[in-house]
Amino acid sequence: MSQGYPITIYKEPDLRRSSLVLGWSEDMGNLGRKVTDYLNWKLRGEEFAEIEPEDFFSLGGVAIEGNLARFPESKFYACQEHELVVFQSGSPWAEWYKFLNSVLDVAEHHCRVKELYLLGAMVSFSAHTAPRQLLAVVNSAEMKEVLSQYDLARDMDYQTPPGERPTLNSFLLWIAKGRNIPGVSLWVPIPFYLAAMEDAQAQKKVLSFLNERLDLKIDFSDLDREIREQNEQLARVRSRFPQIDDYINRLESNLMLSEEENGELIKKIEDFLREGD
Amino acid sequence: MGIRLYQEPQLETPILVASWPGIGNIGIIAVDTLRGILEAEEFGEIEPWDFFYPKRVLIKKGVLEYLEFPSSKFYFKRIEGRDIIFFIGEEQPTEVGRMYAEGKKAYYMANLVLDVAERFKCRRVYTSGAAVALTHHTTKSRVWAVPNSASLVSEIRGYDNTVLMSDIEGRGGHGNITGLNGLLLGVAKKRGFEAICLMGEIPVYLQGLPLSYPKASKSVLEVLSRSLKIEVNLDKLDELNREVERRIEEFYQQIPSEIRVQLDRLKHVSYAQPTEPGPITEEEEKKIMEDVEKFFKKRGGGG
Repeated sequence: MSQGYPITIYKEPDLRRSSLVLGWSEDMGNLGRKVTDYLNWKLRGEEFAEIEPEDFFSLGGVAIEGNLARFPESKFYACQEHELVVFQSGSPWAEWYKFLNSVLDVAEHHCRVKELYLLGAMVSFSAHTAPRQLLAVVNSAEMKEVLSQYDLARDMDYQTPPGERPTLNSFLLWIAKGRNIPGVSLWVPIPFYLAAMEDAQAQKKVLSFLNERLDLKIDFSDLDREIREQNEQLARVRSRFPQIDDYINRLESNLMLSEEENGELIKKIEDFLREGD
Repeated sequence: MGIRLYQEPQLETPILVASWPGIGNIGIIAVDTLRGILEAEEFGEIEPWDFFYPKRVLIKKGVLEYLEFPSSKFYFKRIEGRDIIFFIGEEQPTEVGRMYAEGKKAYYMANLVLDVAERFKCRRVYTSGAAVALTHHTTKSRVWAVPNSASLVSEIRGYDNTVLMSDIEGRGGHGNITGLNGLLLGVAKKRGFEAICLMGEIPVYLQGLPLSYPKASKSVLEVLSRSLKIEVNLDKLDELNREVERRIEEFYQQIPSEIRVQLDRLKHVSYAQPTEPGPITEEEEKKIMEDVEKFFKKRGGGG
């Protein structure tokens, strides 16, 4: 039990000037979970702290995913060699301000974090064959300048539309700004028919940026293989179902599909990717 | 987390009038209309971040410019001998999955509002909300008044178009006021403030619609302004009401005719005189409620 203080530190990491990468585990295209898992795997991330769930998550039972009971987790991992902290968590349901400040408390006081990298995915109506973009929203003009040498779309204008709310990443970026921690929220558009599945290309896009920016020296051959396999699977769906091929052709020509066609495309692709050929 | 006052206005034992959104936004429209008419000046706020999730982000050229939160603001107006502090909360600090504020956060917010009342030596607190009633939208909304002290009952009996809970058939003086508009009344009692909640009637079949109900706000404001001895021009509310009534009428015509016939009978309900034989029996009331519930369930909304 955390007894009011929501952070448990298992082991003090030896970090001097680190960066924090944050991913939400129920992200679109499973992006946050996949990217943070990948970093932990490749860079041998060691769990060193967690945020206790009782203030932030509904604990009325457990969710079941893929036949397994899931419990909300909010864990910090240290990749000491690379001065990198990875934080993977479910999205809190309540007490967001307290939760996000707890993340920054660990980052500042236990990891001496100098920069934040927040991962997010957004829906795209482009085909999967179009190159993935990476959009960046920063919390300071200085951070924007620092990122100017990378392949990022950095000039986004956006205002929350009526009836919607800002993302947790925006909330965190804003709190970080108040605490003078520079940060960037990275957004990858994922083709809508892969949003409930996984998009290895989107993962690679984010990871490549982090690799370059944080000098992580990751070998992506395994991820490249995954991308190839996913592309081959999608090519097989197209050849097997002419209607699906037609829909994707139209998306490739920047044409919109009807709502019904969108639904059909999503269903066919999801069924196919889940069941395999 | 706390109160930020931008200035310390000199006020003489003011009245505090507070409201948050609720069913039909009846209370908040009434209070905010009065604040607007009196051109009350903003002088403070409750810091939002611990209570609320942000409502809007503005990003310009890739830089997060600002994050906007639901506001909880204090205003004041000096009127000789009748100074007023307004508190208007843009949202109720709800817990996950709950429609109205309850629990620790709601209690904390109510106390922060009353901290300001105490600081300025407020002599009374008014809150305002909705009373869901078996009435018809074509009839004038009455105001249900709930005081937090027995000493206020006789004063309320003198208000026009106003009823106490004991005047409402079948309630026996009992009821429940959900959310902060009600909670504030209780916390005020605990802290020794006299307080009255004024609730405008909204027909039961409209409570689940995403519409405001300015007709009831007007009734509340009539009572409130008379109680505060302030004359106000309510033309703006009438204008808003005409627009809303048009939309309500459109909705009403979509209700199946067999239910509408039952609802039409609500035009003749009079609870203020329970001794007179009403045009609707208890059994019929039950039937109307069941029909309305069935209709909303089938429609996938309301309630």
